[in-house]
Amino acid sequence: MEWLIFGFLSTWVVLSVMGVLFLKNPIHALLSFVSLILAVAGMFLHLRAELLAGLQLIIYAVAIVVFYVLVITTIPWEKVKRFEGFYKREFFVGFPVLLLSLALFAYAIIKGNFARVGLEAKDNVKEVGKSLFTTYLFPLEVASVILLTAMIGAILLGRKEE
Amino acid sequence: MTIEKAYMLISVFLFLSGLLGVIIRKNLITLLISTELMLNGVNLALVSADRLVGGVEGQVFALFILAVAASEVAVGLGLIVALFRLKGYEGSSEITHLRD
Repeated sequence: MEWLIFGFLSTWVVLSVMGVLFLKNPIHALLSFVSLILAVAGMFLHLRAELLAGLQLIIYAVAIVVFYVLVITTIPWEKVKRFEGFYKREFFVGFPVLLLSLALFAYAIIKGNFARVGLEAKDNVKEVGKSLFTTYLFPLEVASVILLTAMIGAILLGRKEE
Repeated sequence: MTIEKAYMLISVFLFLSGLLGVIIRKNLITLLISTELMLNGVNLALVSADRLVGGVEGQVFALFILAVAASEVAVGLGLIVALFRLKGYEGSSEITHLRD
């Protein structure tokens, strides 16, 4: 049963990745990206990371995709049509290199061993929340400052020059 | 081969195909989407490593990566809009100078 779910989700992911990489229209690429997000959220659920699956849906599938759609609507279509698709020559150079590195990574993962240090977390949301607000409290605050900086930067970049 | 290792293989595939997308895509917006693919791959690797090792630290770091991805998208799309408004650039091959 586990491998059935894995097969379904991984086929879904591979198809969506092909869509993101090779579809011509940016809107279609964005739609396959949404489908990829849903598949990855399913993978998180299967790996019993429920909090992260929910956050993936909320942050990626809502916030980030809406950003993209807003920006695509601000850019006129005839201009976008000039640059669509992908570079053929770069594909034929880059694809074998990345395939070779995928093979190397796969060898390392399949042959390698992982240490088990901790116990299995029972209640995922509770455990992550506890760890987030005790051990990783300072990085959490730094993340909020990063988001504020990004917001100010985006406002500065996006405002019209007088 | 356990199921976590298989998920880790999928995450490596996601990361490398995001890298391929950054190399080959012409449009700037689809190039940013490929960056998101890479970030998703790293998230998946962290979560499956978490499951292998047993703990929650990887999920905490994946949460920080989500925050960084959101800010990266805001700044990156702001840059794309500013480039388009100032120069009319929309393809990755057009940006060959950092300034005039």
